[in-house]
Amino acid sequence: MNMAISAAEPDPTMSARLSSRGDLTAFMMDLCRRIGADSYMLMAIMRDPKGSELRIVASNWVYDAIQLISRRALTALVQCLACAAPGLQPKPIVTRRAPALPGVITGEEARLLDVLGHGEIYPLSLHVGRQRLFLLFSTEEPGQLDPIELSRAQMQCCYALSQVPGLLAATAQQDPLSDRERECLFWVSEGKTTEEVAVILGVSGNTVNSYVTNAVQKFSARNRTSAVAAAIRNGIL
Amino acid sequence: MSARRAANMGNPSAGYGTPCNPEDEGLPDSILAAVSRCRSIAMAIEAEDFGLFLVDPSFELLQPCFDSSYPQVSPRTTFIAENGADSLAKHTRVSTAPCWWADGSMSRSECEFLRHPLTERTAELLPGVPGIAFPVFADRGRCGLVIFYGQALSLNPEQLVDAHARCFWLFHAVAALSTTPERQTNMTPRETECLKLTAEGYTSDQIAAALNLSPHTANQYLTNCTQKLNAVNRAHAVAKAIRAGLID
Repeated sequence: MNMAISAAEPDPTMSARLSSRGDLTAFMMDLCRRIGADSYMLMAIMRDPKGSELRIVASNWVYDAIQLISRRALTALVQCLACAAPGLQPKPIVTRRAPALPGVITGEEARLLDVLGHGEIYPLSLHVGRQRLFLLFSTEEPGQLDPIELSRAQMQCCYALSQVPGLLAATAQQDPLSDRERECLFWVSEGKTTEEVAVILGVSGNTVNSYVTNAVQKFSARNRTSAVAAAIRNGIL
Repeated sequence: MSARRAANMGNPSAGYGTPCNPEDEGLPDSILAAVSRCRSIAMAIEAEDFGLFLVDPSFELLQPCFDSSYPQVSPRTTFIAENGADSLAKHTRVSTAPCWWADGSMSRSECEFLRHPLTERTAELLPGVPGIAFPVFADRGRCGLVIFYGQALSLNPEQLVDAHARCFWLFHAVAALSTTPERQTNMTPRETECLKLTAEGYTSDQIAAALNLSPHTANQYLTNCTQKLNAVNRAHAVAKAIRAGLID
């Protein structure tokens, strides 16, 4: 914590209430300023039976950088072993004069990232309720960021994002199920048959089947089992 | 299966990384160790009592895991499990922000809570005793709450986020402990493959065709999976396997 800030004026990142996209970007910029990061990128990965897709929720990367760095490389950065969950010590990926990181980024991608002002990148994962998001903090020069402050910023990001669920729902994987559909699918995932679910919920078997069918369609799944799998993978069940 | 997860199966701390707080070095390998770790977090924020709950995947139930009276269960924990599900379990579905309650008497705890606009206030859950609940999450959609109680909690902004981060680390260990039975299932690569395709919605005939097996063999593999996972049917087996990290 920067003592100068806490003594003189309240730190804006400690007292923010967010309600709009503008508030979120302002909050992220304040957070970057506090920990000394040059850039941030907030992302979600949507998974469905056809594969996974990266969505950028908010970022201050220059447009060209986002275009030049492939989505594949960004996805690889947040899915690699260095990506720290809350409570873990954040670990940097240094791109400055670094060779390729096998299985993550190629030498060319590392060079591009460095040239574009991301000499060092910290990949972090966030939990906003059951929803998972990813965050990259980067600096032009390596070795500028304090892991403890990064970890605190990561936790505060989770808090701040929890205040803007509507905003995330527009960009990231959301729960398409109604309460009843989720409840039925949950019991299916516990191995219950239609008849058993009907007894548990006190409705008819036909009603249960129709809820489950809706859930299957909403995930564009082939059958109940694959709908259960999709729901668990997306953190809905 | 990824190398990381394979390495995780024997030892929950292998491949997971380093805790942010040096006091948490080494992942607790038993509930008893987890309780003592939780006690050290409680001491850091001057809490009198604590409890860890698992949140059911339907977000309807709070399941007590342990509390400060371990191996006993304190009446306080039972009370929260019975009365807190509606507000707390539902809260964890959409929010990671700490959720607190107090009686309005402006105890030291209440004054500390009020310093954090990013936290949420809920109805008084425990008459006369303020408390704060930290939502925690681990791999495969596992979700829980670590609750600290006390009249004089000490929670400046750094203490709040540091305690919460430590709870995340602790919960990872607890979640790994409670998935051990499934993790130790010795499914063969062929069985895992069949189960994976089942999760993608393939029928036994389609699996047989894809893997060049007879439909009977595919069915036999899936029956083995279901038995090894102690599941009642295939949907149940798929759900258990994904939650335990046996298939992606």
